[in-house]
Amino acid sequence: MYRFWIAFKKEFLILWFDKTGLALMFFMPVLLVFIITIIQDSVFQIVNENKITFLVVNKDNGEQGTHLVKMLDDSRFFAITQNGQIDTASINKIMHDDKYLIGLVIPSDFSDKLIQKTRLISDILMEDLELQDSVNNGEELLMPSLKFYHDPVLQENFSASFINIINAFVKSLEGDLLIKQFSELLELEQAPEKLKEVIGSNQVKIDKLAATLSDNDITPNTTQHNVPAWTIFAVFFMVISLGNNIVKERLNGSFIRLKTMPTSFSLILGAKMLVYLFAVFLQVALIFSLAKLTFPSIGLPDLMIPSNTLAFLVVVLFTGLAAISFSMAVGTVADTQEQANGFGAVSIVILAAIGGIWVPSFMMPEYLKVFGYCSPLYWSLESFYTLFLRGGNWGILLPNFLGLLIFSLTCFGITFAKLKRERIL
Amino acid sequence: MVNNCIKIEQLSKRYPGESKDSLCGINLTIQEGEKFGILGPNGAGKTTLISILCGIMEQSSGNVYYWDREAKSDFAAVKQKMGFVPQEYAFYDVLTPMQNLEYFGAMYKLSATVIAARAKEILKILGLADVKHKRITTFSGGMKRRMNLAIGIIHKPSILFLDEPTVGVDVQSKVAILRILNELNQNGTTIIYTSHHSDEAQEFCTKLALLDKGKLILKGKTDALIASHNVNDLKELLLKFTGASYRD
Repeated sequence: MYRFWIAFKKEFLILWFDKTGLALMFFMPVLLVFIITIIQDSVFQIVNENKITFLVVNKDNGEQGTHLVKMLDDSRFFAITQNGQIDTASINKIMHDDKYLIGLVIPSDFSDKLIQKTRLISDILMEDLELQDSVNNGEELLMPSLKFYHDPVLQENFSASFINIINAFVKSLEGDLLIKQFSELLELEQAPEKLKEVIGSNQVKIDKLAATLSDNDITPNTTQHNVPAWTIFAVFFMVISLGNNIVKERLNGSFIRLKTMPTSFSLILGAKMLVYLFAVFLQVALIFSLAKLTFPSIGLPDLMIPSNTLAFLVVVLFTGLAAISFSMAVGTVADTQEQANGFGAVSIVILAAIGGIWVPSFMMPEYLKVFGYCSPLYWSLESFYTLFLRGGNWGILLPNFLGLLIFSLTCFGITFAKLKRERIL
Repeated sequence: MVNNCIKIEQLSKRYPGESKDSLCGINLTIQEGEKFGILGPNGAGKTTLISILCGIMEQSSGNVYYWDREAKSDFAAVKQKMGFVPQEYAFYDVLTPMQNLEYFGAMYKLSATVIAARAKEILKILGLADVKHKRITTFSGGMKRRMNLAIGIIHKPSILFLDEPTVGVDVQSKVAILRILNELNQNGTTIIYTSHHSDEAQEFCTKLALLDKGKLILKGKTDALIASHNVNDLKELLLKFTGASYRD
């Protein structure tokens, strides 16, 4: 026991004196968690709370352009500035100079064409109902285009969302016009207002619900995603410290010297693993505590800790073992400390990318998803998501544990084979 | 009566994938209390022989006996009596001498009390007592070399293997290291030593074995070998038997 304690103490001291390694394991991830969550949360707020700056150039000669602008304004998504005098050629410059995110030009024949379209539809229907003689001469109606401008930095999904909103309002305008048209043709004076009221007050609602497997009231948000994701990233960054530590011991002859001593090498590696496992639990405790205690005070969503504490600890344990095994494999395979640093850092970034730390796995192409299964960060993130977002139980966690276990055993196998080849084991 | 410390019989070693033996049929006996030099040019097989004797690697064939008992019978007990000082600075330079000795002493299964007492004694002898709580990164080459030796003798070994113990140090450290090795030897430690410094080996070793291309070329008492082969010193003896051409 004394030997193990001394070996543990030595590993702890080496880690303690490795200021760069400690910064990479503790300081950098805390910064990452805060920065990424704040950034992602502000993007969420831009869409949901802060209004999008929107320049509208309404050149419509009729009323429908004004109705459309009113509907956009009433939606409360946009901070609308109207200027009907701007010509199409100078809209780019104005948007750039006045920092508008999106712009819309409503053409002069917008109302006219919408009315023509609804008239055409109502004529066809009236003919079918044999309430009117044929007036449709079969001419094709050329509909005008609304010009949608966007800041080039605006992501495609945002542009698509805004276009969908405008489309929905145009459809609504068309519906109103159609009702009005029918009423006029059928000489119904009160019908348009009544119909509008009925349609407006009986819309199908969409209730947004998270498909979790427990009764926990966990709301998916940027905090619930980012805190576990970047904590995992931080845990695997131990590769710099532990990988270097092992390369150094291999190259300076310490391992060989230890082999000439009457002690088991498993004790030496066991002490090393325990220190880093201890560091992993400390990392998780630090990052989660800081997030839990400080996020609400800086306007970020609160971190909801899963109720299954034991499962949470086991997830951390498996993640830690995977990170330790990977770091040990890098440390034994690398020929120099520079190699261990370079390969270790780049490989973690790649494993994080394919593991879904940056972009969710479900958004990746199919072939990349297959590579993702090779990343321990994927299995670890899935475990955390199962606990933090889906409220999953042991049965659902099991495949994730299996993925982490297979990865860890493979890495330990590589470490064992390399140390054996170097006659250290 | 002097006892055998190490007895080597028909020892051979061939590395995996190699077509030639790195050591070929070595027979050698080292007696207790000797200062035994294993000499030879680069690639002669010195490091391979020491590595097998220390248990770092296994021989392909042949036997090694420690105190007339086969090594394989209880090598853990042999390791307890064995000290090894490699050519590299095989310790943790971010730690202090005391922390290093505490760690390696524990790996030799010494108790905390014994380690504390031995560390104090050794660090004083090696002139490192004043810096025992300073991190080794700040040490000179000579201090690091002495620290390397300190770890190898923390447990008072009966056999001490040294691979180039004075390489890259100043004269003062070299003299100090050899003085300490002589003192250890006088107190009963058998010393097995490799070096490229023929003058140092001639002065230090009572007996030697000369290896070349994995074979044992010469063995015997240092003075007797020099006298019997009509050479002035060990350097001439080495050149006479191994030639002057490059070996690397």
